[in-house]
Amino acid sequence: MNVFMREMKANRKALIIWSLGMILLIASSMGKYAGLSASGQSINELLAQMPQSLKAIMGMGTFDLTMATGYYGVLFIYVAMMATIHATMLGANIISKEERDKTAEFLFLKPISRNKIITSKLLASVVNILIFNLVTFVSSILMVQKYSKGEAVIGDITRLMVGMLFLQLIFLFIGTAIAATSKHPKNAPPLATGILLFTFMLSIAIDLNNRIENLKYLTPFKYFDAKNLMYARGFEPIYVILSVIIIVVLFRVTYVFYENRDLNV
Amino acid sequence: MNVIEINNLTKYYGKERGIIDVSFNVEEKEIFAFIGPNGAGKSTTLRTLLALIYPTSGSAKIFGKDCIKHGPEIKKEIGYLPSEVFYYDKMKVIDLLNYSASFYQKDCGKRIKELTEIMDLDLHKNIDDLSFGNKKKVGIVQGLLHDPKLIILDEPTSGLDPLMQQKFFELLQEENKKGATILFSSHILGEVQRLCDRVAIIKEGKIIQLEKISALQENNYKKIKVETTANMDEDYFNIEGVSNLEVKQNIISFLFRGNINSIMKKISEIEIINVWIEEPDLEEIFLHYYEKGA
Repeated sequence: MNVFMREMKANRKALIIWSLGMILLIASSMGKYAGLSASGQSINELLAQMPQSLKAIMGMGTFDLTMATGYYGVLFIYVAMMATIHATMLGANIISKEERDKTAEFLFLKPISRNKIITSKLLASVVNILIFNLVTFVSSILMVQKYSKGEAVIGDITRLMVGMLFLQLIFLFIGTAIAATSKHPKNAPPLATGILLFTFMLSIAIDLNNRIENLKYLTPFKYFDAKNLMYARGFEPIYVILSVIIIVVLFRVTYVFYENRDLNV
Repeated sequence: MNVIEINNLTKYYGKERGIIDVSFNVEEKEIFAFIGPNGAGKSTTLRTLLALIYPTSGSAKIFGKDCIKHGPEIKKEIGYLPSEVFYYDKMKVIDLLNYSASFYQKDCGKRIKELTEIMDLDLHKNIDDLSFGNKKKVGIVQGLLHDPKLIILDEPTSGLDPLMQQKFFELLQEENKKGATILFSSHILGEVQRLCDRVAIIKEGKIIQLEKISALQENNYKKIKVETTANMDEDYFNIEGVSNLEVKQNIISFLFRGNINSIMKKISEIEIINVWIEEPDLEEIFLHYYEKGA
């Protein structure tokens, strides 16, 4: 419990800053929607003429930009990006920082097993992620509702946020697993963010090029695609199962490797 | 009773040598020193004992229990002071000490107060703002606040001023009288001689000597350097007990072990400009162990 509280305290400031950033991102983006929606239907016609590749890069795809939720759907990829960066960094740092800051010789000399230390740290990370998700959820609903003309928004946003939570958990555990297996804990955060960026770019590349569509299983961003979650198939079982498997495997990897490796002291 | 039993402990970092076949015991209420030059494997041994790293082969027991398997349980009774003290950012001294105390199922408040008074430590300062020496003091209080039965220290006095060193040694001796066993590593012979009962000497990962400190003191080496007015016959000082004899023009240096009067007489018989008589450092003592083929 004391390690958990310590981690909550240590991450409090960062969480507040990330949350403010998220609120700002959503508020300012939805603010732009107000201007856009004033131009009425013409925006969709304009977009129809835009080349597919440009739309893919911008993440617009097939969204109905005259609807506040449609606009939010475009925004979602950026929201998810931010949330996953937060999760990756949090996961990689929370495990590796004891060695990086050389506090390992303090913490691991206490009468507490490595197992319990990891459990406390993972618990603190998951709570941080839930709070961040909740902040995103609430501010999204408030902002989208503000601009929607009576359309139902809660259902769509809830589905997107559940999808985002999966993404956050996957990347959190990518971070912790890398930190747990890495021989040089300092390298864990850059390596984990590298993986994040790679999978993100891959998801955009798949949008651009149909021929590599089969690679979609390699990037979690494709598992919870805003278009699918809002308009088409909702949550697809294959992706949910895949996510759960990835999370469980990375979770185990974090424990097993951290338990059995030499600490860098 | 042995508080620490180390059996054939070996640790390789990949292919790199850490320690090889280290074995020794530390008895209850003993003050045991572990000395050797940098990189000899002192810290590796201590860190393996404390399960921060895992041995390649061999095993160690503390309080009769395997130090890896029963690590968390054993650590209830261990106080540890690392050679360099690092703590969490943005924490006050008192917060850190309370955090440390929260891991032990006992009330450490009174002991924290006593120790900070002895160590003359300001509880309400930020740890980041403390000097290296003051951080070390936090480390000392942190290591002792739960009245451990075994105190392990890695180069304990580096960074402390002489007055604090003195206080710290008194503190350790007091803990020892109360029943604590102490194991510490060092490369400073002085602090070893002052404090401990037995000493293990490690070099290149291997224990080369295990001795009572009283025996080590009988090997009372002096490092002597004499500057003479004229160039001397090279063999003038080559008497019984002299070793490592070096003559550079009119400066002669050597190690001497034996009756100090005989060498003083020898020095007094010649015309000299200057003379230095010092305690040899550990490296020089080591040379002797090698020469003896130990």
